[in-house]
Amino acid sequence: MTEQTKEQSGVTRRDFLKVTSGVALGVVVGGVLYKLIPLGDGTVAYAASEGYLLVDAKKCQGCATCMLACSLAHEGVENLSLSRIQVLQNSFAGTPNDLSLVVCRQCVYPACAEACPTGALHVDESNGNVRTIDEDKCIGCLRCVEACINETSGVAWNPEEIHSQKCDLCADTPFWNEQGGAGGKQACIEVCPVSAILFTSEIPSEDIGYEVNLRGEAWASLGLPTD
Amino acid sequence: MNGHMGKILRVNLTSRQISTINTADYEEWYGGHGIGSAIAFDLIDDWTIDGFDPGNVVTFMTSPLSGTIAPSASGRTEVQGIGVQAYPIAWFTRSNFGGRFSGMLKYAGWDGVVVEGAADSPVWVDIRNDEVQIRDASGLWGMTTWEAQEEIWRQVGADNVKDWRQIGSGRDSGRTTQRPAVVAIGPAGENLSRTACLLHDAGAGGGQGGFGAVLGSKNLKAISVLGTGSVQIGDPSALLDARIWAKNNYAMDLDNLTDGWTQLDFSDPVSAGYFGQGPLAPKVGRPSGCLGCISACRQRYETGQGNESICVEAVFYIGYDIMRHGQPTAANNIAADLLNQYGINAYEARTMLPWLIGLNAMGVLGPGMEIDTDLPFDQLGSAEFADVYLRAIAFREGKLGDDLAEGGARCAERWGRLDEDLASGLLDYAYWGLPNHGYDPRAELEWGYGSILGDRDINEHGFNPLFWRPTGDIAAGIEPYYSAELVATIYAEKMIPYEGDPLMVDYSTENMYSDHWAKTVAWQRHYTRFWKQSILYCDWRWPNFYNPYAPDDRGITVEGEPKFLNAVTGGNLSFAEGMELGRKIWNLDNAIWTLQGRHRDMVHFPEYIYTVPYPAGMSGPSYYLPGRENGNWTYIDVAGRVMDKAKFDEWKTKFYTLEGWDTSTGWPTRSTLEGLGLNKVADKLEANGKLGAS
Repeated sequence: MTEQTKEQSGVTRRDFLKVTSGVALGVVVGGVLYKLIPLGDGTVAYAASEGYLLVDAKKCQGCATCMLACSLAHEGVENLSLSRIQVLQNSFAGTPNDLSLVVCRQCVYPACAEACPTGALHVDESNGNVRTIDEDKCIGCLRCVEACINETSGVAWNPEEIHSQKCDLCADTPFWNEQGGAGGKQACIEVCPVSAILFTSEIPSEDIGYEVNLRGEAWASLGLPTD
Repeated sequence: MNGHMGKILRVNLTSRQISTINTADYEEWYGGHGIGSAIAFDLIDDWTIDGFDPGNVVTFMTSPLSGTIAPSASGRTEVQGIGVQAYPIAWFTRSNFGGRFSGMLKYAGWDGVVVEGAADSPVWVDIRNDEVQIRDASGLWGMTTWEAQEEIWRQVGADNVKDWRQIGSGRDSGRTTQRPAVVAIGPAGENLSRTACLLHDAGAGGGQGGFGAVLGSKNLKAISVLGTGSVQIGDPSALLDARIWAKNNYAMDLDNLTDGWTQLDFSDPVSAGYFGQGPLAPKVGRPSGCLGCISACRQRYETGQGNESICVEAVFYIGYDIMRHGQPTAANNIAADLLNQYGINAYEARTMLPWLIGLNAMGVLGPGMEIDTDLPFDQLGSAEFADVYLRAIAFREGKLGDDLAEGGARCAERWGRLDEDLASGLLDYAYWGLPNHGYDPRAELEWGYGSILGDRDINEHGFNPLFWRPTGDIAAGIEPYYSAELVATIYAEKMIPYEGDPLMVDYSTENMYSDHWAKTVAWQRHYTRFWKQSILYCDWRWPNFYNPYAPDDRGITVEGEPKFLNAVTGGNLSFAEGMELGRKIWNLDNAIWTLQGRHRDMVHFPEYIYTVPYPAGMSGPSYYLPGRENGNWTYIDVAGRVMDKAKFDEWKTKFYTLEGWDTSTGWPTRSTLEGLGLNKVADKLEANGKLGAS
């Protein structure tokens, strides 16, 4: 980050992040993350989320309690198909390929928001810039579902209420008595029996940064692998 | 009732008709075993029929908690029907398997499945939300349980967008990332082996009762379900709060693991498995838990060998593996997988083997001997031997397969050895021609009493912490974590409605035939019939009497059971009211056994329980349980004990008196049944000349 760039755009040095070339830059101006900043070369920037979920998929015990908590907190019902976190398993496969843990990455460049034609899927500045869906604006085109860069889409389609839905870091959980969002608690983290999900406010790096090793001495003392 | 989806699937395989039972018609029974027994009583008229008769009805039941975040209560399925395994009468019995089948059934919109009749060719039932098809299973017949499930996965919901499978067509028809939940039979069931089990995913087995063979006799290979719907919850925020409360106060704390032996309940940590570990054994990868479990008891491995196996399928062969190889190897994991794939009850496989080895050592069974066999005993401990042995049972292969497939009791009967081997205990089959679970009647009193007064090896571990913790601590040379007096006090506090009597867990010989023990057994029968087999709290985590994480050492039981049920249903059933429902269900079951031909004179253990001192062995040479000696609470080593036949017979009278059953027959009486609202049950008993005299 050079002095010249700072003078041009007024950004501070500290929060500048270049994710990949040709993709958006998270940019801070005067301490406030701007929603959309055209950078002249055709790319746009979205304000970076103030919260991310990191997972240790090797620690996951595949109980889907996170999924049950998610649909319960958000929808008030139990339904794995409505969960905004997904655990996929194959009972017959060898570890670690027997299980994948799919969480929304709150991407710095959210392809889902980019794909949304109505702005339903947007960055919510009043909620830590979490990428979330305004249900009233959703027209049910499912482009967000297809656009998600995860192999398994992090966006769920709700056929009962007719709108897409995705992880909002529990910003809007009418059926949970706790404060959620980037500044609060997440139901999946609170219930996970093995603490396989971790919240961070630091932007993870690319793909690998979202996977962490949360297994320590206690895990090893139980005879389970920590590598 | 919130938590109910409102309809039970009824499949008649003879007519291939699919219909619906209204769950509301059975709502008073709540779920699981209660609904299963009530439906079976309504649908079966002649209770003397054989389990293989097409008139046998098999029920698969969920509970209001299935598919919800209730801890270790979401994933289990209760199976019931006339069994084919027990001897001499194969009682109306139950099995139960974990995993995710019950949750998926609820998401598909069903509270259970009732199967009647028999198909004239192999079929499987394909449930996708409210679309149900009986499909041709000729392509699946002959497959192992694993192969059949993987093939069904290929066929069901293969279309997907970014891993979200679509059910039906159209944007709103429902989608899921989950694979179908399938319960299947293997070759053992297809070949009508009385040892045949049900198998779901890699290791969730419904082992007891021979339900694999019952389904085989119906030509039913599998039931598959894929669901995308919602379970309505009475008080969602209370349910979520309750789950977090349970985790924070009673469950494994990785930052503060307690020492000592497992308790087999809520406080247990996830474990690395029952298989041996070492350089030659497959390496464990992760713990693997059923839907909604508070602390997983299963595992998956790097090689996939032994996936989701625990308990007896993981240990039935381990001794032989270690004996042969000097350390655990993959042979043990392979043996477990073969058992699950062929679909065999682990207890039969485990308990017949030392009997065969013993007969071989006696010169009775072997190549060219009186019982001629080609079983390669010289390869015992290898994966190859395990395969030959298990294939014999599943495929009726080899010279002995046809006999072994009948299960240990009938096999011994065919060989003219039943009386002799039950007198010596060489055939360690402790109740109703069924394998001794290991928590022996001579030691672990509630287990033997409950099993012989019921229909099967109870497989209910609620009192085993009383044995495991002190036995492990004493063997390690340390003071037991909890004193005998404290554990007796805590158990007594929680055994509502008989609370306040610590002698209910005094396992001393002086006390073992007392009225206190009649109450203990009644308590456990009623608790398990309702809270565990109807509401489906998992046996590996519930009940929880004492808990090292709780500041006052008191576990989650009594408060926990109703808390989750009421959050889901929106009701306010108390623990005691649940116990009373358990008593009702237990009485209905005894009425059914009475119609099947039960009489108190046949309620006896095999001779070795009365004459051979208990040799222990579960955890070394001792078996410690709490009890009083000279008025003082202590841990007593009950190894070496026998059950006194005459005293046991007298004790039965105490139990029947407590339950309000005719003491001369063991049959329920009209006043007891009518007091439970079971008037029509009393009528049926009377019509059959089987009503107990008041």
